[in-house]
Amino acid sequence: MTSALTLRELTVAYGSEPVVRGVSLQVAPDEVVALLGPSGSGKSTLLAAVAGFIEPREGQVLLRGEVVSGPGHSVPPEDRDVAVVFQHYALWPHLTAAETVAYPLRRRGVGAGEARRAATALLARVGLGELAGRRPAELSGGQQQRVGLARALAREPSLYLFDEPTAHLDTALRASLTEELSEQRRLRGAAALYATHDAAEALAVADQVVLLREGRIAQIGRPAEVYEEPSDLWSAALTGPASVLDIPAGEAVSGKVTLRVGEETVRVPGGSAAGLRPADGAVLVRPEWAGLGGRLSGVVRQVRYRGPYTDYRLRTPAGTVDVRGAGTPSVAVGDAVTWDLQRVWISARS
Amino acid sequence: MLRGAIVLAAAAALLLVGFPLAELFGAAGSQGLAAVAGAFHGTAAARAVATTLLTGGVVTVLAVLGGTAAALATERGAPRGRSWLRGAVLLPLVVPPFVAALSWGQAYGPAGLVDDLLGLELPGVYGLAGVVTVLTVHAVPLVYLVVAAALASRAEPDLERAARSSGASAATAFRTVTLPLLRPAIIAGAALAFVTTVNAFGVPAVLGTPAGVTTVTTRIYSDLVFAADPEAFTRVLVLASGLVLLTLSVVGAADVRDALGSGLTRTGAPLGGAVPGGPRWPGAVLWTYALATSVLPLLALVLVGITRALGLAPVPANWTLGHFRTAVGGLGGPALVRSLLLAMAAATTVLLLGALLTALRRQRGGKPLATMATLTFAVPGSALAVAVLLAYGPWLRDTLALILIAYLAKFWALGHRTIAGAAGRQPPELAWAARASGAGPATTVRTITIPLLLPALAGAWLVVFLFGLHEVTMSSLLYGPGSETLAVVILNLRQLGDVPVTAALAVLLTGLVLLGTALLSAASRTSRRLTTHQDGA
Repeated sequence: MTSALTLRELTVAYGSEPVVRGVSLQVAPDEVVALLGPSGSGKSTLLAAVAGFIEPREGQVLLRGEVVSGPGHSVPPEDRDVAVVFQHYALWPHLTAAETVAYPLRRRGVGAGEARRAATALLARVGLGELAGRRPAELSGGQQQRVGLARALAREPSLYLFDEPTAHLDTALRASLTEELSEQRRLRGAAALYATHDAAEALAVADQVVLLREGRIAQIGRPAEVYEEPSDLWSAALTGPASVLDIPAGEAVSGKVTLRVGEETVRVPGGSAAGLRPADGAVLVRPEWAGLGGRLSGVVRQVRYRGPYTDYRLRTPAGTVDVRGAGTPSVAVGDAVTWDLQRVWISARS
Repeated sequence: MLRGAIVLAAAAALLLVGFPLAELFGAAGSQGLAAVAGAFHGTAAARAVATTLLTGGVVTVLAVLGGTAAALATERGAPRGRSWLRGAVLLPLVVPPFVAALSWGQAYGPAGLVDDLLGLELPGVYGLAGVVTVLTVHAVPLVYLVVAAALASRAEPDLERAARSSGASAATAFRTVTLPLLRPAIIAGAALAFVTTVNAFGVPAVLGTPAGVTTVTTRIYSDLVFAADPEAFTRVLVLASGLVLLTLSVVGAADVRDALGSGLTRTGAPLGGAVPGGPRWPGAVLWTYALATSVLPLLALVLVGITRALGLAPVPANWTLGHFRTAVGGLGGPALVRSLLLAMAAATTVLLLGALLTALRRQRGGKPLATMATLTFAVPGSALAVAVLLAYGPWLRDTLALILIAYLAKFWALGHRTIAGAAGRQPPELAWAARASGAGPATTVRTITIPLLLPALAGAWLVVFLFGLHEVTMSSLLYGPGSETLAVVILNLRQLGDVPVTAALAVLLTGLVLLGTALLSAASRTSRRLTTHQDGA
């Protein structure tokens, strides 16, 4: 099956400074790939190169097997089978919501009347049926981005490009819009490249997650892989909270890791990043991989109640460790407690 | 205390602008139909009006086309040396218009630099064609400023990209997205270009008058300064009030206030700004244009100023500083001192008035006053000078004080705009944070507001100083023996035919103005850095 998108050794530069460096990537049809990275990691630039807004310096962009960007060859954005949802919405201030959504249809040669009907229907589908006559200035941020989504849907592309579409929205709105985006895309059965700096969002929406670090791919894998098996400490920190144990790993064989914590020797499920000697790596513990109660000892330094669960920061023979417990706090700061490990992961230090 | 400040600002507005204009319209209105008909008997005055309207119309069309194209080239293309190119396009704005006219004469006129070097002489540099061309060169940057600002702030690159990825070709995206978004800016730029052109005096005086081409402003000048009959005075009154009504109605209709206030603010370019690898030829065309219209003429003027005598080849062997010595030693020296003093007095007073209005910004009565101060900048200098002469001439005729009043009336808006713009960009949270940290209102203004506004205040002072330094329209109508400004001396010397000394003085003046402009641009960069919101996106 032909990939919806293929990047081959893509390098994009502004002036002399490369922003995307030698990125290779495949997005299957009907697959959502998240680009996860901090600001300045090259996510938006990569999307701009796929959309055809900027020309790469080296490498190729292929859409459904066809080269659209390559040395001396560039298909203009309007002739690429992609739709873009922009971070700052990019709604045209002089057009109403209906005119905005009708715009891609009109460019495709759809008649004015039919385009208006189709646009109104699309707006109704994203919950904006009542507001079709409004201009961007009369819409809230969430409503504006729904118009942006409807405009992209009207394009009926085989690949959606989402450029941090929820970055400027409130947390509550963010969740509902993210759901809306995935749902609408799924209904259309198109592929998507979804840039975000929010790990939870990336893990939730994507089939594959690409971690971008200074324009290079740091790690790529299924959401569970990048979360549970980060290749290094940077990837681990990007994808969620993790403690680094202040002890060396003994050995990692057949899915078990042996550790010496204070007086105790523990053998827990886990593993190590590919090609890494356990003794050279850092021992990572996600908060939910550890819990109160067990044979290890520690002292409570901090208690953070977060609603569904409570995080405890412990001082232990293996250094400072964050562990998670269900429900309301069961111990107080200063208490001597016992705790245990359910899983660890050994990743490279840098 | 606040009420006192409002009264003071209102009184200043009334005395500087309201009273003189009322005197002008009163005098014009009391002339009677018969007198007006008599004054406009014959075709000369009517032809001046027709020439002015024609010039205004043609220059506006050319400037809108040129300014918009230049803005697209620098903001959307990928020219070499973008920021230098921006400066080159804006250069005519900081060269005093009458100096630009002088320099065009020296570059492209009979026996000019291009004539000397290549045997080429542009026909009609002295005449309507020359007047229109130099006024267009001066008006292009006005349109450019407004349109480039709109391209950066209103028509963000993302909006065009959204159109492209919705299936629009580059041309369709321009027609359906960019152009509609630029329309208000283009209209405002056109109004600015038109008003500036019909108000222009220096260029038609230098390039038009010798060829017998008369505009409303040069007609007012010759009727007021050289004619003594009552019909000439009636004409002055009618032409001046007509010019005021024309420009104010154009400015009012186009509502250029916002455009005037905006300047070049950038919102940052999401996704990295212009497309790298775009065509380079628009930039090359623009460079050629800037070289031919500004740099080469100024170079010609400098060469005339430093070459021993007219007709000698402008080579180092023939260079001398003698003309500069003659210029400063003669009438030029005292006139330079007078111009500097006038400009400093005007700048300092405007600074105080501007700060006062800014402080009143959110008070009742503050806003109409600010609007009025801004509109006064559109009042033609010629008409304002006539109005000031009518109002204060009886007591202050032939004094520097009379010229100073006219400067204050005209330039108040400039200073106010700069200060109010910076104050408006200052987020209110900065002052709130000071109050929440325990500072009283006065302490907040002293420790937070004023320090952040300092570059803007310096900028406002410098803008008014520069305009005052090279002002020619009003001072040439208001000067008397012993109150000639530098610009007046330059114009008069030129009429006497002393070309090299004229050139030397003009070079001296332009050098001072360019130096001041460099300082100004440093100040405004600092001001923007200090007062622009950093959102780090």
